[in-house]
Amino acid sequence: MNIGILSKRKTMFTDKIKKFFVNNKGFNVKIYTLENLSINDTLLSNDFFILKSKNLFFIYAGQYLKSNKIPVIPDPETSFKQKNRVHSHFLIKKAGLLPPHIYLSTIKTLKKELNNNDFPLILKPIMGSGSKGVRIINSFKDLRAYNSNKILYLEKYIKGEHYNVYFIGDEICTLIKPPLSNEHVHMEFIQTPKDIEMVIQKWKNLLRENGIFGHLDIVREESSNKLYIVDPGSFPEFDQWQVDNISPVETICNLILKRFREFRNI
Amino acid sequence: MKKVGIIIDKYHLKYKVTDFLKYLRSKAEVKLYIEESFLVDSSNLKFDEDIFFVKGKGDLILGLVKFIEEEMSIPVINSYKGCWLAINRFLNSVYLKEVGIPIPDFTLNPKGIQPHFNEYIIKNIIDQKNYKFKPIVKKENGQLRVADERALLEVDSKDPRYNYLYYQKFIKSKWEYKIYGIGDKVYYYKQLPILVNANKLESRHEIDEIPELKEYCFKAMEIMDLKVASLDFLKSKDQFFLTDINCTPNFNYIQNGSKIVADFLLEQAR
Repeated sequence: MNIGILSKRKTMFTDKIKKFFVNNKGFNVKIYTLENLSINDTLLSNDFFILKSKNLFFIYAGQYLKSNKIPVIPDPETSFKQKNRVHSHFLIKKAGLLPPHIYLSTIKTLKKELNNNDFPLILKPIMGSGSKGVRIINSFKDLRAYNSNKILYLEKYIKGEHYNVYFIGDEICTLIKPPLSNEHVHMEFIQTPKDIEMVIQKWKNLLRENGIFGHLDIVREESSNKLYIVDPGSFPEFDQWQVDNISPVETICNLILKRFREFRNI
Repeated sequence: MKKVGIIIDKYHLKYKVTDFLKYLRSKAEVKLYIEESFLVDSSNLKFDEDIFFVKGKGDLILGLVKFIEEEMSIPVINSYKGCWLAINRFLNSVYLKEVGIPIPDFTLNPKGIQPHFNEYIIKNIIDQKNYKFKPIVKKENGQLRVADERALLEVDSKDPRYNYLYYQKFIKSKWEYKIYGIGDKVYYYKQLPILVNANKLESRHEIDEIPELKEYCFKAMEIMDLKVASLDFLKSKDQFFLTDINCTPNFNYIQNGSKIVADFLLEQAR
């Protein structure tokens, strides 16, 4: 079997997936990065693809493959909806969960329409995931570096405890993380609280077969104890997965294979 | 009187809709939502319009359309899906090809990797800004290579947006066919290709219906969820190829275009 992996890098979790499929299953695995990925019929020699990264070009490749009946796991359209922050706002709402309030505008209009009580805000790229390009904005002064005509996407800052919550199949791993950090910093493992378990269940119910693994960044608001979803992710690195007897690489690769067989009715 | 919301950017407001607004204001209550001066605030968005019309492709415009579609039952022309696919050249090529509309061969390659066909045109990948096509034409080893300056700037600038180029196989055609779809009406024009005569209006003239183009036009508008669009076709060896699709067409080029579009909007209003 020939497998393609669409990934920003050839190392880390991507390398572990490759080794699993090559060593344990005897498959041929090719990693496509932004340096060697041409999106055309040359991709169609693979049996299926793994969409490891959500860069727009990998999503384009995923859509191209899907239209040519090549299975792509996770689903590129669902991954796009998690990457585009306006889409993900509505995805979170559709799941019956709480997203933060959002603003879209130019700096000039923000200055006219917002007042000092509206800060702090979180500036994020409209297309993005994780902490890349994310800044805390405490006042209009913090926006001075940005082009006055650019449309900015801002979220209301939720003051409270931040969680990185991974899920693989039915297993959940909850970690307390510093605000605005990525998943590679030190995080503290905790037993998953009941309300976070419910959040993950609602998220998986929405995504159904497209939510076999993933993660949510969640903030418990200090003043209300409500849980806000601030960033969904379709394929994290699972750096700090800490559930006994569950190997993320092996479990995820087997879930991907199961999903592929469902596609092919094998 | 029906209430019509126009979601627009400053460029389109200044240059493209004067007659349209004049006519529409005689028939409906019109409110403008201008990208450069509007705030999308998810906690405070309420509208009482009967229909929205979108004239622009910027991030705020797309975001506002998405909000209206998700939170309200007000029709929006064109939809988020239509606008998003129309500005994403690669994605619309994939969708159009999938439903059997002939389009030129295409590929999306990292800069430095040549396409698998010899003669090509490089086009911008995300067609979101309001500037004109500026062709750079070269002959290399007898092969024609055309590039839109905008596409090259996107990868060659100091702070590149990305490192990819969209290549479309070059189609040699005597004429370029410009088709406007407005609801279930189609308007047909042809003109010399822009590489032959940069002044596209000089040679543009209305032509009779071409059933094949009508079929492709309806199919493309349906798959992309567009209600108002323009489509460019080239013709090679009796085969038409759809080369471009636009969700914010300049309907001033159609006789009574402003009236036709405004009347169509009022028909579609709730």
